[in-house]
Amino acid sequence: MASLVIKDLHASIGDKPIVKGLSLTINSGEVHAIMGPNGTGKSTLAKVIAGHPDYTVTGGDVLLDGKSVLEQEADERARAGLFLAFQYPSEIPGVSIANFLRAAVQARMAEGEEIDAAAYYKRLYARMDMLKIDRKFTSRSVNEGFSGGEKKRCEILQMAILEPKFALMDETDSGLDIDALRIVSEGVNTLRGPGLGVLMITHYQRLLNYIVPDFVHVLYDGRIVKSGDKSLALELEAKGYDWVKRELAAANA
Amino acid sequence: MSATSTPAIRSAIGAFKPEAFAAHLASLPPLPSWWIERKRAAYERFAGLPLPARTDEAWRFSNLSGVALEGFAPAASGPSAPAISMGIKKSARLTFANGALISRETLDPALEKQGVIIDSLRNALTRHGDLVREHLLAQPARLGSAKFTALHEAFLSDGAFIHVPKGIQIELPVGIFSHALGDGIAVFPHTLVVAGENARVSVVEYFGSGGDEENQLAIGANDLYAGHGAQVTYVGKQDWSHRALALQSNSTVVRRDARVQSLNLHLGGRQVRHESLSQLQAPGAFSEMLSLSVAHGEQEFDQRTLQIHQAPDTKSDLLYKNALLDRARTIFSGLIVVDPDAQRTDAYQSNRNLMLSEDAEANSLPGLEIQANDVRCTHGATTSRIDPEQEFYLQSRGIAKAQADELLTFGFFEEVLNRLASDELHAALRALIQTKFKR
Amino acid sequence: MQPPSETLSSAADETVMENPTVGIDQTKGDFQYKVDYAFDAGTGLSEDTVRYISSVKKEAPWILEFRLNALKKFLSMPMPTHWATKDLDNIDFAKIRYYLSQGQKPKRTWDEVPDDIKKTFERLGIPEQERKFLAGVEAQFDSEAAYSNIKDIVAKQGVIFVNSTEGLREHPELFRKWFGKVIPTGDNKFSALNSAVFSGGSFIYVPKGVKVAQPLQAYFRINAENFGQFERTLIIADEGAEVTYMEGCTAPKFSTSTLHSAVVELVALKGAKIQYITVQNWANNVFNLVTKRGVAHEEAEIKWIDCNIGSRLTMKYPGVVLKGERARGEVISIALANDGQHQDTGAKMVHAANNTTSNIVAKSISVGQGRSTYRGVVHIPKHLKGCKNNTECDALLINTNSRTDTYPAITVRGDRNYVQHEASVSKVNEEMIFYMQQRGLTEGQAMSLAVNGFINDLARQFPMEYSVELKRLIDLEMEGSVG
Repeated sequence: MASLVIKDLHASIGDKPIVKGLSLTINSGEVHAIMGPNGTGKSTLAKVIAGHPDYTVTGGDVLLDGKSVLEQEADERARAGLFLAFQYPSEIPGVSIANFLRAAVQARMAEGEEIDAAAYYKRLYARMDMLKIDRKFTSRSVNEGFSGGEKKRCEILQMAILEPKFALMDETDSGLDIDALRIVSEGVNTLRGPGLGVLMITHYQRLLNYIVPDFVHVLYDGRIVKSGDKSLALELEAKGYDWVKRELAAANA
Repeated sequence: MSATSTPAIRSAIGAFKPEAFAAHLASLPPLPSWWIERKRAAYERFAGLPLPARTDEAWRFSNLSGVALEGFAPAASGPSAPAISMGIKKSARLTFANGALISRETLDPALEKQGVIIDSLRNALTRHGDLVREHLLAQPARLGSAKFTALHEAFLSDGAFIHVPKGIQIELPVGIFSHALGDGIAVFPHTLVVAGENARVSVVEYFGSGGDEENQLAIGANDLYAGHGAQVTYVGKQDWSHRALALQSNSTVVRRDARVQSLNLHLGGRQVRHESLSQLQAPGAFSEMLSLSVAHGEQEFDQRTLQIHQAPDTKSDLLYKNALLDRARTIFSGLIVVDPDAQRTDAYQSNRNLMLSEDAEANSLPGLEIQANDVRCTHGATTSRIDPEQEFYLQSRGIAKAQADELLTFGFFEEVLNRLASDELHAALRALIQTKFKR
Repeated sequence: MQPPSETLSSAADETVMENPTVGIDQTKGDFQYKVDYAFDAGTGLSEDTVRYISSVKKEAPWILEFRLNALKKFLSMPMPTHWATKDLDNIDFAKIRYYLSQGQKPKRTWDEVPDDIKKTFERLGIPEQERKFLAGVEAQFDSEAAYSNIKDIVAKQGVIFVNSTEGLREHPELFRKWFGKVIPTGDNKFSALNSAVFSGGSFIYVPKGVKVAQPLQAYFRINAENFGQFERTLIIADEGAEVTYMEGCTAPKFSTSTLHSAVVELVALKGAKIQYITVQNWANNVFNLVTKRGVAHEEAEIKWIDCNIGSRLTMKYPGVVLKGERARGEVISIALANDGQHQDTGAKMVHAANNTTSNIVAKSISVGQGRSTYRGVVHIPKHLKGCKNNTECDALLINTNSRTDTYPAITVRGDRNYVQHEASVSKVNEEMIFYMQQRGLTEGQAMSLAVNGFINDLARQFPMEYSVELKRLIDLEMEGSVG
């Protein structure tokens, strides 16, 4: 069984600390949700784990199957099994989805090994059908001119094709209407299973009605300040984030 | 020029002394006298004009000391040419080596019956003199190279002539190969395309050298004429030797409701200057001007363009993209001119530079001169590196940085290649660019 | 040289026009009062002209030497007509008067200013503006400042605000340290000319950390025919200092041409901010050929706001040399070219340190036979990283005979910088004009609204008094030009 262990992680952008001692263990098969008010470091956490060059890790570690990933480039981490579903996926003009995914799949194969094009397209089309993505999309440039919902479905499509060990889903529900949210959630739920661990980052409880988490954590000021099961999400929804802030203030007083 | 900046004194005529011109004339077969007279007049013009100077706005940012005419000799006769594949199906093929026609193949037998002429300029001068006289080098050299266009006319030995008569549409492109073979030679390639009313033709031209170490001078010119309702596509693939100095002047005339698409790909050469003039002469005319260049090492690609809207309701659209590696330099200087009565002009001009090295230099001079008021004219220029967010996105999918950069660089070219109607040509150009990256 | 010259007779009718209530100018400055000049360098340019100017100013020998060198430079340089308009050849340097004044020492109160000159500035509304919202005013009449004053509260902070003649005399160390360093004498033919015969202009020094809350203003008035005004302005904002400087310019309309050729140098030391605002409303016979440049040190900011409404030919490309890391430069340019006018304006941004940013927004309007030209230079030379430039040029064409040109030049080296340039040309929306006319506006009023709408996003960045003034000037131009 695979594990993703985040140990007392500290990270900053420039001189500004954002993640301040965060610890969390995700085992494959588990779905964790991280919730928190805006500006508490949720998106930063996902990018730091994925290896975004803008952030500097100033302390702690991130271990994938017991091995630190911090010295690895973003692409090495991805090939090791980490997948980041972006909140705002980049638009990449001139690079078609088909070529892009093919390059990504090829990158995971041993040197000299060639992709089986027929099998690849078969799998690609099956996943596209599942996510209700028009097959014509394969010749379109990655994310270019896509609607918010199309971009998010394209993220899930990539996840489905690349079959990561751990998926970090950054505000996957943002900008989605109810239909798009249902399609995306169904996609994630289909991929859910003993081989996949999921870290969902979200501001709202809404997404968790569709993708039911095993664990819920509250992130505040760069740290996890509260953990629980899915009922914690409902409690948060009912009481608001101020409730956590007050509790925290009381505890620190 | 101040004597201090250029210690080596370059002469205005270089190797092209009167004796060389006399020898060139003597080498020609009998040709119409008007043409010989024009060549003589051109030689006088060439000899009388100075080399470009610092104060010439048309040569701003150019490496002037690299523009020297010494040490070259007009190629005498053409040896056999190397076999180059364009990777596309063609309707006809003309091959030139050192300015001489080596082979002429008509691959589609229907063409001759339809009255299509695909021949050498020499033959056309005697057989279709009026057409040639009307269109050959008939447009003014307005982009700074009047001297070199005159030199081209004086020493022009042979070239391609394509005439598609009224109503005839050729589906497959005509291929033209222009080779420069040998060290120290000068070539003067020329292609003249005349498309009659509602005719359609596409031409793909390849320029290459025998070897990458050959020091050569290539002074070429093209004339494209699209008659009423005609459609002309021209693709030039420039892959001269990496020691070549190339100066090319292209002129396009677009008549009523006609449409010309031109794409020039620049890969080779030491210093390459490419001037493109598009004249939109009657309502409904449309000129699409495209260019892609991959500059590496110490290469300099210097592109000057002029879109002249001379009539109302005309359209032009220019997109020039440069990728720069190593210590390469590029210059893009483009001007849109809208004449006073060219109302409802729709003109666009865009130059995008992708910087792939910290020592490369991109110069961009996008210009507008607008004298009509009911117009839509815009231009844009950007110079930037690969977007780090896009790079990270690709890396986050497991693609290594180097490969991510290559994907993004080709993505950068796609916007231009996608404008081509032919998928085959699109793929062939992409493959040619890939060979440069692999070198 | 010559004795005081004859008085200039003028047909300007003093009684018909009333004093403007507020603002730089409501009548395009087209009026003239008789003035007696005590000092006159005569007509034409020679070494003697330069020596005369220097001697009446009682200058130190190094300044005379500087001037004479500049004169040589000027005479040796060609007219830049290989890129600029041939109209420059119509300037007859032999027919211009290079120095005219009533004295070299400006007055500190308006009461002391001679009546004829005072009347001019009152009519232009300067004393009133000073009372209302300015920290200091300098009013230059032909070659010298007639009035110069700074509010006590500002002077007590150590702020120096005098004309250049006084600056050279009273603060020679400070002046000489920066003078001619931002714009060398031989930068162009007209900076050389200015360096030879300069007179007037402002010298400002803002000490470390001092933030001047209200703007300092200079007003440049050309009164004499065939005259050349050559003010020289030097502004130094020391570390962390902030200052806003505004200048207005007018001249009466003569049948012969007049030359205005200033040099303005700005120095913003670490963390300083300088904002320089110009509303130029010269008469249509004025050649306005001005060189303006600033150097921004580390984290400093220089912003040029440049509005060109008047003149026959304006050639002016305010620039910023971004010398220190994280320095910022900005040029906001508005040009309105009416019949017989050519506004050849733009901006120059030279990046010389990492992480510097520059921004250029230029909007031009061509009316009637007017011609507007944008020229820009953006230079990011070598091995720099994190530099950014954004340029936007928009041109609006009102009539079929108007013309607009755009000539940017962008050089970028290296792969760690980002430059973007966008330009567009469009005509005024006829549907919109018709809509407004249908609601009862005249065509002129509708055009004026359309033009003001076109520049609105820029005008809003000006101090209130100036944006109101600009709108009024545009109204005047537009009403006269259509319908």
